[in-house]
Amino acid sequence: MTQLLTKLPPSTHEFADIIHRLEAGGSMLPDTPENLMQIIGIYKAYAVPMDFYWRDLLYIAERVFLEPLPFFKYFLPQEYLDLQNHYAGDNADLRIWRGTGSTHPELLEFMKKGETFSAPKLFHHLFHDRINMEFAEACMSAMYWHGRDMGMGKFDAYLDSDEYKTNADRAIRAYFKENPVMLGLYKAFPEMFLEQVRQLSYYSNLGLFWEVMAPVFFEMSDIYDEGGFKGVPDAMNFLVNGIFAIAGRPIYHHVYIDGECYEIIPKSKGFTWLYEAALPYVEAVFYRTSPFRGTKSYNAQAKQVPEEQKDFHFGILYADVFPVGTAGIPPTLLMDDMLHFLPPYLIEYYQKHCRGEDDILIQLGITFQRSMYNVTSAVIQALRTALLYPLDDQNPKHLLKNRQFFEQQMDRFKRPEARLRDIQKPEYR
Amino acid sequence: MPTIVDIAVSNDNFKTLVAAVSAANLVDALKSPGPFTVFAPTDEAFAKLPTGTITTLLQNIPQLARILTFHVVSGRYKKEDLTNINSLISLEGSPINIDLSDGFEVKNATVIMADIEADNGIIHVIDNVILMG
Repeated sequence: MTQLLTKLPPSTHEFADIIHRLEAGGSMLPDTPENLMQIIGIYKAYAVPMDFYWRDLLYIAERVFLEPLPFFKYFLPQEYLDLQNHYAGDNADLRIWRGTGSTHPELLEFMKKGETFSAPKLFHHLFHDRINMEFAEACMSAMYWHGRDMGMGKFDAYLDSDEYKTNADRAIRAYFKENPVMLGLYKAFPEMFLEQVRQLSYYSNLGLFWEVMAPVFFEMSDIYDEGGFKGVPDAMNFLVNGIFAIAGRPIYHHVYIDGECYEIIPKSKGFTWLYEAALPYVEAVFYRTSPFRGTKSYNAQAKQVPEEQKDFHFGILYADVFPVGTAGIPPTLLMDDMLHFLPPYLIEYYQKHCRGEDDILIQLGITFQRSMYNVTSAVIQALRTALLYPLDDQNPKHLLKNRQFFEQQMDRFKRPEARLRDIQKPEYR
Repeated sequence: MPTIVDIAVSNDNFKTLVAAVSAANLVDALKSPGPFTVFAPTDEAFAKLPTGTITTLLQNIPQLARILTFHVVSGRYKKEDLTNINSLISLEGSPINIDLSDGFEVKNATVIMADIEADNGIIHVIDNVILMG
């Protein structure tokens, strides 16, 4: 750190302190034991529902497919509960989490009882006593909607190619081969069906993305429980290494119809986890998303909703957690899911602050916001590693390029809605 | 004159690159007449990548091939030919920034040995694996 500062004059950016911290290998989130405890606890609580999300996203993309009335799309069959995570368990391609490759035991327990009691799946579904899969679908929609405009990776452009249309056409015809009504509709409105398949390709994309993140978060929680992380930068660096380790994981969309696999997006396209899933995800979900329909109103005439999609800023990094903390809104659905799997130390922590358990959803939402600033820091550091220079580079020109990159990233948090300023303070809860 | 592949195989600094090119089934392509300009990372460059990166890529050949083809450009470009060029389009499709203002830099890698002539192209040896973006 001292060496770096002697080489470059201090930054004059509004967030100079944070930029200097990033240059010293730190995170946007201050390095305090309280922050470390909060973010690891919430990663664990996030990973359990995420274990449901990725399995169900793949189930919908691969099996439910174009079911006209998908009433049971959230009812995971045993095959998908047993599906082995490629990054956990004994048969992992690369073992990130030392635990099981099957569904997490806490998730299975919750699916059985919910918040109430053991009952048939349909009961839990209708009483909404279940994992809020709608949150995962909202994230998928954000990726799908912003995908056109972001120009990131090659995934979205491929969805417009003739090759993709041919592959989708084969699968659509096979899926409805015994359903003349749907085949007739397909003939009349081919674009509508194609657009549904494109959306399903994003289900697959996000499922494959989260399949990696769940074991990463579980492992971080285990390391923390063993006393393994010394501070927030350690937790961030674990994420940076994870991003690199899995960067080359294929992103694809396969559909299974009558036991036959239809490769709508084959693995051979060379699409990767980093370029076609992780980076678009961070941009679409952490930064952009869209205004949530809920109690908070946005006035478009007062330009509270930007004219261009690239300027959207409704993601977790900008969210005012309190007003969006209303039932049925995607972030609240996630908060509710995480509430069921909080580690005891985090529950104890929330009981001591604000209104204790009465506003626990808001408190954990703000913890989640802190934790996602740390994930975004990991992405920023990973991009710096991949595209720029080491932090201890001896060439001042290289250090200047790193500085410019960090400053550009911080520019995105200058707007008043950004919570970067707030997460610097421990009393923000 | 030897081909790009012959030169790489005969040099002890390119063991990882040769193994990767062969795993990705790109040997024949790089033996073809081309011509190509290859930015060839050394073993030390590959070793800088965090643990697991290469393992995952070796398990997924199309993805490995994509990263490798980002290091190859169609045409024969010696250092002197690049004086007025800011970027080249790789076989992968993404641009590679070139900077000759202070030494010879290719994206965030430095060329440590330039202009190795092969029968079917030119090799520039670089000290980092370069990535798209």
